[in-house]
Amino acid sequence: MAQKQATKKNKKSQSLLPQALWQKIGANYLLTNDSGHYAWLKEKDFALVTAGKMAEKDPLFAELAAKGFIRNRLDFNDLAAKWKKKNAYLYYGPGLHILVMTLRCGNKCLYCQSAAAGLGAKHTDMPLAVARKSVDLAFNSPNPGITIEFQGGEPLLNWEVLKSTVVYARKKARISGKDLKLALVSNFSLMTAEKAEFLLKHEVSLCTSLDGPKALHDENRVSSAGSSYEDTVKWIKFFQARHDTQVPEYRVFKPSALLTVSRYSLSSHKEIIDEYVGMGLEDIFIRPLAPIGYARRLWGKIGYDAKDFSIFYLKSLDYILKLNQRGVVIREKMASMMLDKIVNFRDPGYLDARCPCGAAIGQLAYNYNGDIYTCDEGRMVGWEGNDLFRIGNVFTDSYKKVITSATTKVCVVSSNLEAQPVCARCAYKPYCGVCPVYNYETQGTLWGNMPANDRCGLFKGIFKALFTLLKNPEKAAILKKWVAK
Amino acid sequence: MRRIKERNLKKQGNRTIGIKVSLKDRSLDVVRYAAYAVSDAAYVFIKPAGKSAVALEFAPKNSAAAKNLPRRFKEELNDEQKRAAIFDSNRDLREFMILKALAYEEIPPAGQQEDSGLTPEQERELDALIAQVESEIKKESSGNKVKDPLGITRTWEEKYGAKTGHKKK
Repeated sequence: MAQKQATKKNKKSQSLLPQALWQKIGANYLLTNDSGHYAWLKEKDFALVTAGKMAEKDPLFAELAAKGFIRNRLDFNDLAAKWKKKNAYLYYGPGLHILVMTLRCGNKCLYCQSAAAGLGAKHTDMPLAVARKSVDLAFNSPNPGITIEFQGGEPLLNWEVLKSTVVYARKKARISGKDLKLALVSNFSLMTAEKAEFLLKHEVSLCTSLDGPKALHDENRVSSAGSSYEDTVKWIKFFQARHDTQVPEYRVFKPSALLTVSRYSLSSHKEIIDEYVGMGLEDIFIRPLAPIGYARRLWGKIGYDAKDFSIFYLKSLDYILKLNQRGVVIREKMASMMLDKIVNFRDPGYLDARCPCGAAIGQLAYNYNGDIYTCDEGRMVGWEGNDLFRIGNVFTDSYKKVITSATTKVCVVSSNLEAQPVCARCAYKPYCGVCPVYNYETQGTLWGNMPANDRCGLFKGIFKALFTLLKNPEKAAILKKWVAK
Repeated sequence: MRRIKERNLKKQGNRTIGIKVSLKDRSLDVVRYAAYAVSDAAYVFIKPAGKSAVALEFAPKNSAAAKNLPRRFKEELNDEQKRAAIFDSNRDLREFMILKALAYEEIPPAGQQEDSGLTPEQERELDALIAQVESEIKKESSGNKVKDPLGITRTWEEKYGAKTGHKKK
């Protein structure tokens, strides 16, 4: 009898779908699994699959079996390989190390999350000793690839320290044998030919902010020196030209730009994208504004809800695809990173959409005074007077202490999607991630409440759009080309 | 879903919506997760209602949110019941898969395999030597059989024969 019951139970469990997640979109179901495979099913096929009644001769059967959606046809090696590739970051320590060279800045951008200090606040410049200690700690990470990103305020305001740190980090990389990438995020207002030569020679990649055409850019990014647009554009063109001509002695990277969407941007998606294309930039990162730091205080003036941003984002994506169809090379960065996971089962290094999130285990932010934060967003919360995300100081705490701190652990636990009631059931889980800092700032809890979370709504909108576009062969071909490398 | 009685859906004076759900064919967790999924639209209170049912009280966050609340909750409850069944039946399988993935080592393609440093001639000599040693071991072990009534030491091929490519009916 006991045996009979066991057999019956086995038969029952065999008849069900293997572990899978789904989302009804329109009349169809999107089915996904832990390894990142996905399939579109009509309602009747979804019912058959979930009931374990899909016949072997059904045209869909082979596809579903190959993707790990048929319980007695699982290819464990393939599923395991894809899972590991997609989650490769779990095997390394933090790779991104953000050094806040100063809080000073000549710009007073409407949304500035870093809450920049005035030009006279020299006490917020990072001393060389702090910079070196930060680099030392960064190199203690077991990650074989280290990226040091110089940020601010405007990092060029602390040029001498920045310069010494670049040289020091390069030396450190040679000794340790690690792969080092250096990056500078600057508004270029203080860039000079001499500084540019130094940065190019030391293979520092350059990133700036470009919010669109002159009027819009200057409206968002208010400069004490008049227009901030002129400097930005001048130096983007300079670095583009240097990239195009290259030299044998060192690699010159293509400059990149970040777009922050304020309320003023919402009606100008075409103009913004055209500006990027006109500048020769091949990637545009359409980032929503987050109500963190200074932006939160001005949210009523410059903010918007997730729905408004989603409309803007989808219109932009549609326009970018149309440009691609006409042969123009331009990609949307957020979509590219999500697609890398969906299409290539690869981790694109997008720390905001990981499980657990990149806070501390993927990145560390070093403030000008040596304080270490889980991430740059956590540092911004600290600047507002709440040091919840501070996990140490370069002078007093070891790498081990920082990475095993209670705050690090709580960020890992709260951003584990398996433990998030809604995320654990979401079809987009294999490609998504939550942000404890965002949750804390907007909902007062590290865990957040995903059904009412704007970031969650936004990501869902983006995923829905991407999966829908992937159903269209012509658009899918363009999107796949973005991540074919 | 049949167990959710429509007549129990009612709008009360203080604008809350009450729904009674039977626990006879679903767990309390299923109800809780389904209720959490609509927590963007309402605050939810779950109270016992007899031995095998719970009463849910939804306090909508605004009037627009209240409109589709019972329908949304029902859909979530249906989905959640399906999810719970699938999750339960796959718990071991999933743990196995994740453990396998965590320990997975990619085998480099043949071209990238480490060079042994031997010439082709030396490789052939080594292969011949290994074959000789293996045949000697086989000879020795055949005259000295160990009891293995369950066939634990036998390989899958020894037990069932090599793959023929034909599926068993």
